[in-house]
Amino acid sequence: MKYFTAFAAAFFLAALGASAMPYVKVLGVTPDLVLIFAACWAMVRGQGEGMWVVPMAGLLHDLSSSDPLGTSVLALSPIVLLAAAREVRPVDTEFVPTLAVVGAGSLAYGLLSMAILAAAGQAAPWPQSLLRVILPLVLVNALFTPIVYLPLQWLSPGPRPGMSRLGQTTSL
Amino acid sequence: MRVIWWLLTVVAVSLVSILLSEQRALDPVQNVSLSITAPLEGALRDLANPIADVFQGIVDRGDLVRENERLREEKELLEKQLANQQDAQVRIRELEDALGVKQNRPEDKLLVANVIAQDPSGLKRAIAIDRGSADGVDEGMVVLSRNGSLIGTVSRAYADFAWVRLITDPDSTVNAQVEGAPAAGQDASAARGVASGDVRQGVVLDLLPPDAPVTEGSLVTTSGLGGNYPRALLIGSVNSVDERPAAPFKKATVEPAAKLSALEMVLVLTSFKPARLAGP
Repeated sequence: MKYFTAFAAAFFLAALGASAMPYVKVLGVTPDLVLIFAACWAMVRGQGEGMWVVPMAGLLHDLSSSDPLGTSVLALSPIVLLAAAREVRPVDTEFVPTLAVVGAGSLAYGLLSMAILAAAGQAAPWPQSLLRVILPLVLVNALFTPIVYLPLQWLSPGPRPGMSRLGQTTSL
Repeated sequence: MRVIWWLLTVVAVSLVSILLSEQRALDPVQNVSLSITAPLEGALRDLANPIADVFQGIVDRGDLVRENERLREEKELLEKQLANQQDAQVRIRELEDALGVKQNRPEDKLLVANVIAQDPSGLKRAIAIDRGSADGVDEGMVVLSRNGSLIGTVSRAYADFAWVRLITDPDSTVNAQVEGAPAAGQDASAARGVASGDVRQGVVLDLLPPDAPVTEGSLVTTSGLGGNYPRALLIGSVNSVDERPAAPFKKATVEPAAKLSALEMVLVLTSFKPARLAGP
């Protein structure tokens, strides 16, 4: 059931990303809700579930874009590795590490996508894309994270021992 | 250990999938996917359009008032030019009839297509349309806006859908020319260059001769060189000119004539076969 829910949510967000979201431009870029969703799921629900949800989100992302099928699956995969940050717990909240994973995941996604485009023989202006698209996307995706993180956190089972949601200590 | 195996599997499956996709083996999957998502994406676009318009109207009110004034002045000027041009057109037709000259583009055949999606990746500028190879759309075909200005070419055609690479995409290059009378002592090719897509500036007109008569507001059209685009399709107008004394070429940024971020309907020029499709 949880994977069906994840599929439905990622499907909706992928459709939203290809239709309505291009109207939303912050710093010249459009937030990538599918990437944010994949990162939030891996952070809130754990790396194990992330191993299924991240490739599924990548596939849906690919199906709604002009990229070769498999590009986003590959480019989003670092999120699962980054989700190990959930276990490190450097601060007493899940939200800050999630922001960091969204940011780092966006950077990895952008760089890997560029590398795949270049390998496929398409134009890949690295300096311009890095400065004008990838770096702004890191900030914008982090900015939009609460929109996906909060409903996901609310729908998920209670917090793990010793952890809090948005920085406040939760009694056990 | 489990994560390493997972990563190896994902990398292997993704690479195989990318290769198959590049070989066009997965086109039916992408066609089915667009068939499923198109209605939902259409509904979401319809919903987002008026909301975006309201917000944009509020944010850009001052600019809109100024732009309105500028457009009124431009309209008056253009009407005057149009009157002169109509007269010239009649004379050209009379001369062509007299000389038996063949028209460059006698009857353009256009196929109307709805925009169903935009590429969500910020690294590309592409739109999906609801016409595909079953409707006669082929890769490389020229795509125009509702008003007839160039917006891009078909980069990938599935059975019922196609992706259109916009002129602002970094992979797009169009042989272009700046309209206007050449200065004294220059031939007609003096203001020819290459209009390339640019992530930062939209469209950049490069490789212009240093003495080319290019000014802000000059119209940029396709030159027809190379045979991939018909001649004299409007691309846009010059926004700014980058002139450096020692530079071998002049550069200009071009504002596309069509509003590429808000396209709802486009026209595929099916009667023109680009050189790459026409064969030897």
